[in-house]
Amino acid sequence: MSLGILLALLAWGTLVGVDLVSLPQMMIARPLVAGTVAGAILGDLDAGLKLGVVFELLQYDILPVGAVRYPEYGPATVAAVATAHAAGTLGLGLGAVVGLVTGLVGGISIHLLRRVNSRVVNDAAAALESGDPRALVRLHVGGLLRDGLRAALVTAAGLGLAWMGPPLLAGVPSPREVSIFTLLAAAAVAAALAAGAAGTLRLVGRGVNLAWFAAGLGGGVVAVIWLR
Amino acid sequence: MRPRFGRALLRLFAVQGSYNYERMLGLGVGVAEEPLLRGLPADGVPSPYRAAVARGAHFFNSHPYLAGLAVGAAARAEHDGASAELIERLRAALCGPLGSIGDRLVWAGWLPLLSGLTLAAISLGAGWSAVVAFFVVYNIGHVALRWWALRQGWTYGVRVASALHHPLLQRGAALAGPAMACAVGAALPLSAQYLAAPFAVGARAVLAGAAVIGFLALRWLPGRLTGLRLALGLAAAALALGWVWR
Repeated sequence: MSLGILLALLAWGTLVGVDLVSLPQMMIARPLVAGTVAGAILGDLDAGLKLGVVFELLQYDILPVGAVRYPEYGPATVAAVATAHAAGTLGLGLGAVVGLVTGLVGGISIHLLRRVNSRVVNDAAAALESGDPRALVRLHVGGLLRDGLRAALVTAAGLGLAWMGPPLLAGVPSPREVSIFTLLAAAAVAAALAAGAAGTLRLVGRGVNLAWFAAGLGGGVVAVIWLR
Repeated sequence: MRPRFGRALLRLFAVQGSYNYERMLGLGVGVAEEPLLRGLPADGVPSPYRAAVARGAHFFNSHPYLAGLAVGAAARAEHDGASAELIERLRAALCGPLGSIGDRLVWAGWLPLLSGLTLAAISLGAGWSAVVAFFVVYNIGHVALRWWALRQGWTYGVRVASALHHPLLQRGAALAGPAMACAVGAALPLSAQYLAAPFAVGARAVLAGAAVIGFLALRWLPGRLTGLRLALGLAAAALALGWVWR
């Protein structure tokens, strides 16, 4: 991976991380978008789309309401795609693991940022209560910049893992390595499907929506059988 | 007034920029409201302008896309000379409904609906163009909703509750649920087929078994087991199994 591509991924991951909560929430933080663009940067759209789908399904497990804590799958997907691209054909599982760890770190960093923001706001209570618009804007922009720094650090950590992971698959993999990384990929896909189904059912609830879900599920199964 | 309205709308895109556990969206709402308050008298201690800016940055929490409704309504009420108590009560009263409607309409409707359609389209071979379509269509709704919310708030002021009964919100929220359920329902088997295609038959059986067990575990242990924990646990199990199995 060249330095230019690494910097492009770092910039993209930072934008994705900021988009999740701060600015402008246009859903580039959604794994489908984050992964596809990361794949395009790397010239590996297939890996971008596949890992985008895996993390998009995991995202269904999350409903970002109120101050709920959740993993951050945007920069995670960028790191996952970078790993999978560098690792080659067996990279899906390894990429997913790197993405999961990055997502966990991202979620913790969001919580820490909110605590730091709380402290900063608390310290500036007098200026805020005086109605000073410059103090208000300064505090707000400070929060935005901190989130940008946080997103860059999380993406850098993910790309660091992506850099360390692929040497595990250097050279011709042994049959044992093939079985380990195949199992890893199957585990990631299985978890994504399970989380996608469980999260959707939680959103759907009972009643008429459940009937529509069943109808959609039936239609999807028929489409799968018809396309085989 | 138009440039100030545009500035407030632009600032609303960063309404969660300083999100914190103390005032939640409060600072972002205050920053977005500030351009609309500039016509207020700036004389006196504290001046009406400064008092309104301070009020604007108090605690506030709602769905970010609909926060504009509160921003516009509070700014209009300030210009109309409403009392500070009334404006504080208005802001507090809007938190719950704006959060609830926004979550149903966007987080549990519009977003998963389009995401499900995109997953299905990718699984059927649409590739990156499906992702571009998702991005464009989603943001048409996103930007329109932010603009509409600010405009409604600014138009109605303290009578903004009537905007919450607008057919766009009521019918949109009612239709989004079933459409989302159907789209994601269809996307799940298609995505399973798409992701499982490269695996050999034996690995597919392992994948299907693990997915079923994972799904049941997530249903039985809600809150304690999350998708992330399940994925990390299954990955650890896969590594251990692969290590032992020769």
